[in-house]
Amino acid sequence: MTQPDAFSVPGAASREKSFATSLCDFFYQRRWSWGSVFTGLAVWEFVSRVIVGSKLFLAAPTQVLVALFELTVSGELEKHILTSTLEFLVGYSVACVLGVGLGFIMASSKAGKQSLQPWVSGLYATPTVALAPLFILWFGIGILSKVVVVAVLVVFPVTINTETGLRTTPTQLVETVRAFGANARQIFFKVSLPSALPFIFAGLRLGIGRGLIGVVVAELFGARAGLGQMISQAAETFNMPNLFAGVTVLAVAGIAMTSGFTWLEQKLLPWRE
Amino acid sequence: MTDAPVKLSVADLTKRFGSLEVLQNITTEIRNGEFISIVGPSGCGKTTFLRIIGGLEQASGGEAHLDGRRIEGPGADRGFVFQQDNLLPWRDILANTEIGPEINGALSPEQRRNTLRLLKLVGLEGFEHYYPRQLSGGMRQRVNLARALAVDPALLLMDEPFSALDAQTREIMQTELLRVWEEGRKTVLFVTHQIDEAVYLSYRIFVFARRPGRINEIIDVDLPRPRPLSIKRTPRFVEYVDHIWKLIEEDVRVSVLEEHAG
Repeated sequence: MTQPDAFSVPGAASREKSFATSLCDFFYQRRWSWGSVFTGLAVWEFVSRVIVGSKLFLAAPTQVLVALFELTVSGELEKHILTSTLEFLVGYSVACVLGVGLGFIMASSKAGKQSLQPWVSGLYATPTVALAPLFILWFGIGILSKVVVVAVLVVFPVTINTETGLRTTPTQLVETVRAFGANARQIFFKVSLPSALPFIFAGLRLGIGRGLIGVVVAELFGARAGLGQMISQAAETFNMPNLFAGVTVLAVAGIAMTSGFTWLEQKLLPWRE
Repeated sequence: MTDAPVKLSVADLTKRFGSLEVLQNITTEIRNGEFISIVGPSGCGKTTFLRIIGGLEQASGGEAHLDGRRIEGPGADRGFVFQQDNLLPWRDILANTEIGPEINGALSPEQRRNTLRLLKLVGLEGFEHYYPRQLSGGMRQRVNLARALAVDPALLLMDEPFSALDAQTREIMQTELLRVWEEGRKTVLFVTHQIDEAVYLSYRIFVFARRPGRINEIIDVDLPRPRPLSIKRTPRFVEYVDHIWKLIEEDVRVSVLEEHAG
C-alpha cells in the first residue's frame, strides 16, 4: 500500500535545489511579469524626462530612487515609517481581536447577530475613511486618531468573514464529532474554528489594504509625522520625487504584507489545496 | 450465535416527523458479535433507525438499550461510519482516526499504538501523515472505518458506507470489511441499498417496509464463512437476493414513482 510516487509531496524536490537556481527559476518563471514591470518603468522615465520634462508635475523613477536614498540618509524616512508602522500595527491588532470576537458573537447567538448585523453591514458599506477629520478632531493629531481610523476600517471585513466562516461550517463534520460524544466547546474548537480559519485569514488579508489606506488618509488630515504626512507635505511644496517616494514605500509595504500573509496561510493551513 | 448475550434490544421504537410516521413500533434483539444488515426501499426509515441507535436523533416513542444501558444520546460505546467519509480536512489521517479517543479524553501511548494497528489493519500503513485530500475515496472510507473502530465501540453502526464508491472498489471494500470484522467480531448494524452487499456480509438481514417504516421480515443468511467474493455467483446466494428483492420490489416501485412525481 505504500506508493510514494503516486503522492509526491509538492515542494519536496525544489527544497534540494540551490538558492541560486531557485532565484533564476523565480525570474524565469515570471519573465513576462518582470518584462512588463521594466517596460512600464522605462515608459514612465521617458514620459517624465522627455514629454513632461518638469519635476514639478511628474518625477521619473530614477528621481524617486534618488529621493528615497536622500530621505533614508537624512533619517527622515525612518521617522515617518516608524510612526506609520506603529499606527498601523496597533490599529490592525485591535481590529483583528475585536473583529474575530464580534464575528464569534454574531455566529453563536441569534440576539448577537440581530443586534450587530445592521451596524456591521451599515458601517462596512460606509466609506468611514471620510470620517477621519472627525476622529482627528476628537482624538488629536497624535497617533491615537490614526489607530482609531485604521481599526474602524479593518474591523468590519474581519467581523464579516469570521461570522461567515463559523456559520458555513459543514454540518456533516459537526455531526461526525457529535456522534463521538463531543460537547459544544469541543465542536467549536475542533470543527467550527479550524473550518473558519481560511475565511478569517481572507478577512485579515482584506484588512491590510484597508488599514494602509486608513493610516495615510488619517495622516493627510493632520499629523506630526508619518508617511501620509510626508506625502501631504511634499505635495504642498510640489516635491514630486518625495511624494512618489512615500507612495512607493506604501506600495512595497502593502505587497510585502499581503504576500507575507499568503505565505503564513500556507504554513498554518497546509491542508488546503 | 443464538446463545450469545443480547447486545442491543429495541422495544416499540417509533419515530414521527410531524404527522408522518417514519418508524412504527420496531422491536428486535441483536446478539453480541452479530453482523446485521438493514435493507429496504428509499424512505423506509432504515437510516433514521440507525441514527436513533447512534443517538443522533431522538425517538418519538419506545426505547433502545445497549448492553443494558438506555440510549439517550451519542456516546463512545458506538462507532458511526458515515455514508460520506466526513474526515476533517485540516487533520492528517492519524489525527482524524484518533478524534474519538481525543474527544473522550482517552489519548495515550497505548491508544496511539492501537490507532496505528487499526490503520495497518485497514491497509493504510504509511499514510498516517497524509491529509484527506491526498487520498482516494476508497482510502478515505477506510479511515472512516478505522476512526469508528478507534473508540473500541460495543456496536458499530454503518450507514451505506460504500454507496459513494465505484462498483469494483465497493466489492473490494466488502471483502476488506469482512476481514477487519473477523479480527474483532464487533456487533455491526449495516444499512445498505444493495441487496447482494447485505447477503454477502450478514448473519441476519432485516428487510424494512415503508409507510410506515417497519421490519417486514428477518432473514437468516446461512452461508459458510469466510466468504470469498465468488460466493456471490452461487445458486444459494442468488436465491437469497431474489427472495429479498421480491419482498421489497413493490415498495421500491411505489417509491420510484413518487420520486418521479416529485
